[in-house]
Amino acid sequence: MKTTRVVRIGLFACLTVLGALISFPTPLSVVPVSLQTPCTLSAGFVLGPKDGAISQLLYLLVGAVGLPVFAGQTGGIGVLVGPTAGFLWGFVLSAALTGLLNRFFRPQKVTGIFLCLIAGMLVIYISGAVGLMTVMEYSLIQAIVSGVFPFVLADFIKLLAAAYLINRLGKAKILSAAS
Amino acid sequence: MAMMKNITIGQYIPGESLVHRLDPRTKILATFLFIALLFLVNTFTGYGLSALLLFLIVVLSRIPVKYVLRGIRPLMFIIVLTLCLHFFMTDGRVIFKIWFVKLTYEGLIRGLMMVSRLILLMIGSSLMTLTTSPILLTDGIESLLKPFKVVGVPAHELAMMMTIALRFIPTLVEETEKIMKAQMARGADFESGNIFQRAKSLIPILIPLFVSAFRRADELAIAMEARGYRGGEGRTRFRVLKFTYRDFVALVFVAAFVVVVGIYF
Repeated sequence: MKTTRVVRIGLFACLTVLGALISFPTPLSVVPVSLQTPCTLSAGFVLGPKDGAISQLLYLLVGAVGLPVFAGQTGGIGVLVGPTAGFLWGFVLSAALTGLLNRFFRPQKVTGIFLCLIAGMLVIYISGAVGLMTVMEYSLIQAIVSGVFPFVLADFIKLLAAAYLINRLGKAKILSAAS
Repeated sequence: MAMMKNITIGQYIPGESLVHRLDPRTKILATFLFIALLFLVNTFTGYGLSALLLFLIVVLSRIPVKYVLRGIRPLMFIIVLTLCLHFFMTDGRVIFKIWFVKLTYEGLIRGLMMVSRLILLMIGSSLMTLTTSPILLTDGIESLLKPFKVVGVPAHELAMMMTIALRFIPTLVEETEKIMKAQMARGADFESGNIFQRAKSLIPILIPLFVSAFRRADELAIAMEARGYRGGEGRTRFRVLKFTYRDFVALVFVAAFVVVVGIYF
């Protein structure tokens, strides 16, 4: 692996961690909105499907060794096999998927990017629901009511922010497709 | 807007106890064994015995109990939710019924089981991060992943990327604060407006952050290559991991415990 690639993936993982540390209070949800999801969703666009997925895997590893970078400032390997684990592993899948979608469709406009991101977000929801069903033995309905509904509105803002972000990054020529 | 500093130390509490001095690889493997045990066990006796093992390790590690229990606090919400969902939404023998709310025997047992599993899982895994620094754990992960190189897992590269990520967190935190202040000085408003405006207001923070991170990345790559970095082949280390007889005894003990309790309970 070339040094530039190693360093870029490492720093993108670092950016995701940073996104997780910045949080805004919102009127829409009790949980403060963090910038981690926009970073995760843009990983595939910026680094490509494989490297984007690796950068998100690294984000999980940084959390696993004890840094409080997961939702609600939690960390530790337990979170990666705990009730919310499905969502976390979903980040890796979603980065790979959005990277692939970008490679095939090359969306330029905010709306096109937004649609690709919705596909990425759905992967996170599905994986999260499956996680809740296996770890906590919830039924499908229980998993959706507790793990998806409360977050849809706040996630909508994050998706929009991510779409604007990727659009601008494309203009700044730091997307994988541009280089 | 909230931001945390000094996070790179993670949950680590420095100490000199027996558990602190174990090889990080021992602790990682033992944690995995313990997690496997929790998913194998399905009786209250089994959970009780697992809790006993944890208690023994906590005593040996001399970590104050309040730090150990702190790991459960963020889970309070999900614990209550799980109890409610299982208590009142499982079919079976009804214990009591008020209007349409009914508590069943099966739901009670299942809810309590899930919650015990969850609590033990969180305490068990936080013991590893409480007694080992993130950097040592990274070294441990690299060493444990080495055998998987044959199937294409880039063990050294992953560890290097992780070290870079850990190293640059404080730097980028500082950078972000500068960017936020600079944008606020130019009149940026992060906390009002409708959803579209709010989503857009994040852009002036993220774009400079991304651009500067990528500039930093390219400079770092050049600096590393100028100093002769060429991957993991033939690299010598400042910190060398040592697997001693203590690690062997600890690992065999945990493995034996997991096998016995996992099979019988």
